Parts: sequence; structure tokens; C-alpha cells
Amino acid sequence: MLLVLGATSLYPFAYALFISLFDWNWGRSMSFIGLANYTRLLGDVEFWLIMKNTLVFATSATAIELLLGLGIAVAVDRLRFGATLVRTLLLTPLMISGIIVALMSKVMLDSFLGIVNYLLGLIGVGPSTFYGTEATAMFTIVMVDTWWQTAFVFIILLAGLQSLAAEPREAARLDGASEWRIFRHITMPQLAPLLLTVLIIRSIDTLKVFDIVFGTTGGGPGLATEVAQTLAYRTAFAYLQIGRAMAVMVLFSILVLALCALYLRLGSERRD
Amino acid sequence: MRLQRILTLLPAYVVALAAMAVTLFPIAWILSISLKTKRDAFAIPPVWTFAPVWRNYLALWDNDAFRGAVFNSCVVTVLGVVLATLIAVPAAYALNRLRLRGKRLIAAWLLLAYMLPEFLFIIPIYVLYQAIGLYDTHLGLALIYQVHVLPFAIWMLRSFFAEVPVELEEAARIDGCGHLAVLIRVYLPMTLPGLAATAILNAIWIWNELAIALGLTFKNAQTITVAVTSFRGYASIDWGPMTAASIVAILPMILFALVAQRWIVKGLTLGAVKG
Repeated sequence: MLLVLGATSLYPFAYALFISLFDWNWGRSMSFIGLANYTRLLGDVEFWLIMKNTLVFATSATAIELLLGLGIAVAVDRLRFGATLVRTLLLTPLMISGIIVALMSKVMLDSFLGIVNYLLGLIGVGPSTFYGTEATAMFTIVMVDTWWQTAFVFIILLAGLQSLAAEPREAARLDGASEWRIFRHITMPQLAPLLLTVLIIRSIDTLKVFDIVFGTTGGGPGLATEVAQTLAYRTAFAYLQIGRAMAVMVLFSILVLALCALYLRLGSERRD
Repeated sequence: MRLQRILTLLPAYVVALAAMAVTLFPIAWILSISLKTKRDAFAIPPVWTFAPVWRNYLALWDNDAFRGAVFNSCVVTVLGVVLATLIAVPAAYALNRLRLRGKRLIAAWLLLAYMLPEFLFIIPIYVLYQAIGLYDTHLGLALIYQVHVLPFAIWMLRSFFAEVPVELEEAARIDGCGHLAVLIRVYLPMTLPGLAATAILNAIWIWNELAIALGLTFKNAQTITVAVTSFRGYASIDWGPMTAASIVAILPMILFALVAQRWIVKGLTLGAVKG
């Protein structure tokens, strides 16, 4: 049973590795070219730029979401009434598909007719072109992802906060410790394993980002927001270079695996 | 003293209210645009009060391709969830009996499967499906979704099964129940809410998935997320149908979430908090 289950995950990976050694355009002829797909990618400036974009997006979105999610979780944890209602309402973005979030953001952030530029105008900021220029496009997508996924960080950390024992905090409070010191020296260390889990999950998710880039900029303007998965999609289904697309995904998978291994390592070192 | 307590709680309420405003405003705004006439939708300064018109929704209903996509999403979601549940229940039961070793095993598998990017899977599956005729079919899409949600489903169910007291299982055994009978008579009735939570989270994931559906369907089995991508290009011109389609795609999942909120929270937090 387990073998069958494992095989369903392993077959695509093995097949992807296999295809990545060929020059193939979905047609009948498939020629073996060894590692040429890999060597071409590794020598390609565009590939490295796209990998950099992916990392920039993933690290900034994850960092902002973790900070905001933690802040909101701490706040909601303190509410005396209405906490359940707040939690339910804050959860709604998680129920929405990434592609819908992308389309919603295009309406909200339209350069000329969007409500966000109008509201920013009221407080004397803007107008911004958001997705329109290289300088702002990546930041805009990070913000959209933040709107979409901060609730995930929030809900996990809130559950974590609520499951913590109250005694150490109360003892510290009786000893006259300030709220900030209690948070910094008692709550945070207790929450650390959970923070690591959320960090890993959000990092993987943001590295694999597809929907919101595909649905908003499609990777543009230029290559400003092109990320690993949109590159793979474009290479396979628009340029019909399947071997190359698979090589992109194999290299990218190695990057994701390495990053996760690093995080897990850091996590276990801290515990020792 | 009372004033001081209110003052220490005030920041928490301010943060909570601000988060709610930022979270809910876009959804409310998109809903309002879907109910506006074209002129009101594009008005600057924005129109805050208006009489709702249903034209955009009626136009969607008349759109055969979109109606078909909604139908396809329903079929694929139900099929995917049923298949995943049928496989996950016995798998979780078996792994639960392995106790700790089983837990480590699925945790590792879950993390690994989760890490691999979608397009690494999509293209090999695309090739396979073209060869065996599952490309652009409901069954084909549901099968691959089932494979995708399976690790998570097993992980969740195993955690719920682990909460069932071993004594109950032993008592049932003494009464002469086999594995299947223990599973059906003891485990399933006791973990029904957990089973529901698992199914709901899987359903939401499948309903919202884009990349796999984009790669593995074309016309016959196109899902709602793929159908709405056609609105990308002329997003700046045609807000009415686009926002209406968005609301149609969002609404079932939000209703789902409101009804089963407690279970969803339990499901989402289970994996992470219990580690």
C-alpha cells in the first residue's frame, strides 16, 4: 500500500528527470542531448534573474506575512469578546482561489479607475501604476500575496498562543515584568517551533507561487515578476520546449529542497 | 484600574479592526462592482450607494462555457474528495497502528510531496494522460487531485484516529471484529467531525486549484478557475462579468467556511500545532 502511494509521487519526478535530458517539442521526434538543457540554463542570465525574482518574492512575502500574522494573532488572542467572529472573518481570503485574488487585485489596483488609487489620493499619496512598472510590480504582488495568505500564519499562531500554558506568563507578571519582556522572553521561545513550521510552509508556498503572478502580470513588465513556475509553464506550453521546462523544474526542486533542509537544520540546532 | 485595563486592550482591538477592514473591504468592493451598472462601476469618484442590478449574473448564467465550468468544478471536486477519502481512511488506519514510525513516515512523505512544484508533476502526467486518454476528462483531473491531497488527508485522519482510545479497539476485537469492522464500527463514528474537516479542506483546495487544471484540461473538463483566466486579458474593460464570475467562484467556499468554520480551523491547525 505504502509502496503504491510512494510510487505516485516518485513516478512524475523520475519521468521529469528523464525528459529533462531530451530536446522535445511534444512532437514525435525526441532527441537525447544529455545535460545540455542544464548547462544552457545555468549559463543563462535570464534564468538566474528569474531565480532571483522567485527568491525575492518568497523571502519578502514570507517575512511580511509572518510579522503581520504574528501581530494579529497576539492582538486577537487578547480580545475579551468577539474573538471567534474576528477569527472567522479574517479567515475568508484563505477560501479564495489565487486566480480570483489576482483578478480582484486587477480591479482594485487599476491605475486610472481602481478604488485603491482613489483612496490613496484622498490621503495625498499616489497615484501608483502598481502592476504597470518594473519598479512597483514585484512589490504589488508581494502585497497581494500578503492580503491572501497572512490569515494562514495568523490562524496557526493563534492556535499556538491559545494552547500555551498561562502560568509562566502570570508568574512573570506578578514579578513585575513588562508585557514586552514577557512576550520576548517567555511567549516567543514557546512559540518558536510553531514559527519554524509556519516559516517552512509559507516559504514552500511562496517559492512555488503561480496563480497570482499568472493572473496579474504574467511575469511582466519585461521579466520583472517572472518566477520559476511561470517560467516552466511558458517554456512548456508556449515555447514547446518540454525538456528545458523539466530541467527548470528539476533545478528549482533542488533549490526548494535545499532551503527546507537548511531551515530544518537551523531549527534542530536551536533546540539542542 | 478599569480605565487602565481598557487602555491596555485598546491596541488589540484597533489591530483586529484594521485587519478586518483590510481583509473584508476588497471582497465587499468586488461584490458591489458585480452589482453595479457599467457606468457606476467605472465612476470616479466611486459610487457608494446604488440600486443593485443582476445583469452581470444573468449574463454568466447564459454563458454556456462558464456554466459548464461550474458544473465541471463540482463534478471534479466531489469525485476527488470521495476518491481521496476512500483511500485515506484505510491508509490512515494502517499507519495509525504503526504508531510513531507511521507518523514519521507520512510526515516526511507529506513534506516531500508538498515541496515539489506543480509543473514538475503536470508535464509527466500530461504525457501519460495523452497516451491513455485521460487528458481533459473529469476522471483524469479528479485522479491527479486525489493524489495531491492524499498525503494531507492521511496526515489529518491519522491524527484524528490517534485520539481514539486503544481500549475501545481492543474491546471490539474481543467481540470478534476484524480490521474492517473495527474501522467502520469504532473509528469512523468517533472521528466523524475530523472526517468532515478533512473532506472540506480537500474540497476547498481542489475547487481553488489552477495550475494542474490549466495543464490537464482543455475544453471538456475545464474548471471554474481555468474559465476565469479568460477574463485576464480584458480586465480593464469588462469589470462586470469578471467580478460576477469571481463572486460565483468565491461564494460556495465562503459559505462552506462559515458553516464548518470550527472544523476547518481544527483541520488547519492540527498538522502544524501538533507537529
